[in-house]
Order: sequence, then structure tokens, then C-alpha cells
Amino acid sequence: MLRSKGFVPVALALAIIGGCQSAPKPEDMARTSLQTAPADLQLICANAVAGTAKLESTKVLPTSSRALDATSYSVDLDAGGRKYNCVVDSTGSVKSVTPV
Amino acid sequence: MTATSDHNRPVSKDQPAWTRRKLGAAVLAAALCLGPLAALAQTQIYDARTKKWVNYDKKKARQYFARNNQLPEAFRRQVVPFRTAEQPGTIIIDGNQHFLYLVQPGGQAIRYGIGVGREGFGWAGIVRVGRTAEWPTWTPPAEMVARDPNAAKWAAGMPGGPDNPLGARALYLYEGDQDTIYRIHGTVEPWTIGLDVSSGCIRMNNDDVTDLHSRIEIGAKVIVLMQGAALYKGV
Repeated sequence: MLRSKGFVPVALALAIIGGCQSAPKPEDMARTSLQTAPADLQLICANAVAGTAKLESTKVLPTSSRALDATSYSVDLDAGGRKYNCVVDSTGSVKSVTPV
Repeated sequence: MTATSDHNRPVSKDQPAWTRRKLGAAVLAAALCLGPLAALAQTQIYDARTKKWVNYDKKKARQYFARNNQLPEAFRRQVVPFRTAEQPGTIIIDGNQHFLYLVQPGGQAIRYGIGVGREGFGWAGIVRVGRTAEWPTWTPPAEMVARDPNAAKWAAGMPGGPDNPLGARALYLYEGDQDTIYRIHGTVEPWTIGLDVSSGCIRMNNDDVTDLHSRIEIGAKVIVLMQGAALYKGV
């Protein structure tokens, strides 16, 4: 069976597909099941909310976050007791800040 | 359950009340900082051989460390890009992803792997480094002294050293002028980096906490991010 005409092309295709799957960089080879936003993006949102809420950034803390898609994150924040949501993309650009 | 303390000498009942209060706080910190293993969120590492993400629990972590005598690369100290308005010298802890960042100039940070609080013991907030200690003393809590003969011999405080659970350095986290009883400290269990292991303290391997200690100033701002935190400090 292994010598059948169809095996070689199939095996070759599988090898190519396997080779095309990109492995993460070594420094990125750890994660948790919680797909939270990177810390720097969470803090970019905290700064944006501090501006909107007219508070010192020391009073604004991200409380949860999640990936919306491959390039953007939603971050929930507490600003001195008031709740906000912020959407930020992976380049660090804040897309929206809204009170909730 | 193990415990800890923050003093560099034994404390007796003859000492003044404020010292006993400090000891009480230290023992509470001990109980909070060191604890059994349990998962808050499952850590995973990428297996380059199978090209799959695999769960990284206490057993796997021990095996990995025994085989390689070091942590997975992601948890080793390294410089990474970090976009922030925070001042260089600020410490940012991502408890969910098990990383501690020390902000550097030029949009970079030094990233260290950490172990954090297990489920129900995670906390978040904005605090500061109130003080630090080299090779801190560890004082077991009374309940541990009562049940564990090995701990009993250290009832008055285990001197700092390579077998001390607090490891090589401790950074004491304060909220204003109040000790939060949480610490960033070293460990005698380096394989636990990357896991949810403690009762609230941030643990690092000894080389890393020594490096961090050498770079920070007393008063440094510490931002702790932890989704699902049971407690908030300083905000």
C-alpha cells in the first residue's frame, strides 16, 4: 500500500502543510487557557480611560480582558469605582473607550 | 502549607508589642505567600516536537526542570518590547500569563517568569516596593509549628539561606505606608515558575529575584494585573 502511486504525493502534501504551520517564537512558547490581553495593551487602555474619566492613572486598573479576534482585545477597567470598557488593537491603538 | 516571615532575626515574647504585631503580620504573610499547588488557569507550553500546545502542570514542570535544569524558554529572563507610559523602573505583574515586567527606557522591558497565587488567592492592584531584604528570614506560622517537627525547629525564624523558602531576596509590597503582607520573593522550588502556586505572593527563581532586586529602587510602583482577582489593593 505504501508503494501505491497515491502515497508519495499525499505524504509530500502533508509534509508541506506541516512545515507551513508556524511555531511561536521561543519567548512565546508559553500561555494560559485565559486568553487575556498582553499587559502593555491593558495598561494602554488604563491610560486612555484615565484621560476619559479625568482620573490619575494610579486609580485605573484593568480587571479583565479577552481577545475579540486575531488583532484586537476588549479590556474591562475600574476607574475609581466606575466601570469602563476599552477596545485596543495589537499595535496599541485604542479603538474605543465606553462607560459600562 | 508552608509559611514565611520578613525579619532577619528571631523574635521573642519579650519584644515590644509593635514588634509582635510585625511578627503577626509576617506570619500572616507567611501563610498567604506559600501554599499548595492548584490551577487558576491552565498553563500551557508549546511542544516543538509534536507542534502542539500541552498542559504544563506541577508534574510536567518538575519533569521539565529535572531534564533541562532550567525553565521553558518563555519563562526565562529576557528583554521584550513593551509599549507603556509607565516610568522605567516600574514593575508590572501579569499574573494570568505568569510574567513580571520591569519597564526599561526605549519601549522595552525585562521580562521574568513568575509563580502566582492559586485559585482564590490571586490579587490585583497598584502598590509599591516598601522595603527589601537579602536572604530574608522565614518564620513558620503556629499551626505549622504544631504539626511539623521540621518547622518547629524554626519557630523563632529560619535564617536566610539556600534552603529558606523565601529564597535569595524579598521585595515587600506596601499600600501607602501599610505592608500589604504580599511579597515578591525567591524560591527553593524553581520548577514552580509558570504555575499558580502560592497564596498570593509572587515567586521568582533566585537568580531572577536577585537581578530584579539589584535594578529596582525603594518606592518603585508595582502594578499587579490579575483577571479573577479575589482582592484589590491600592485602588
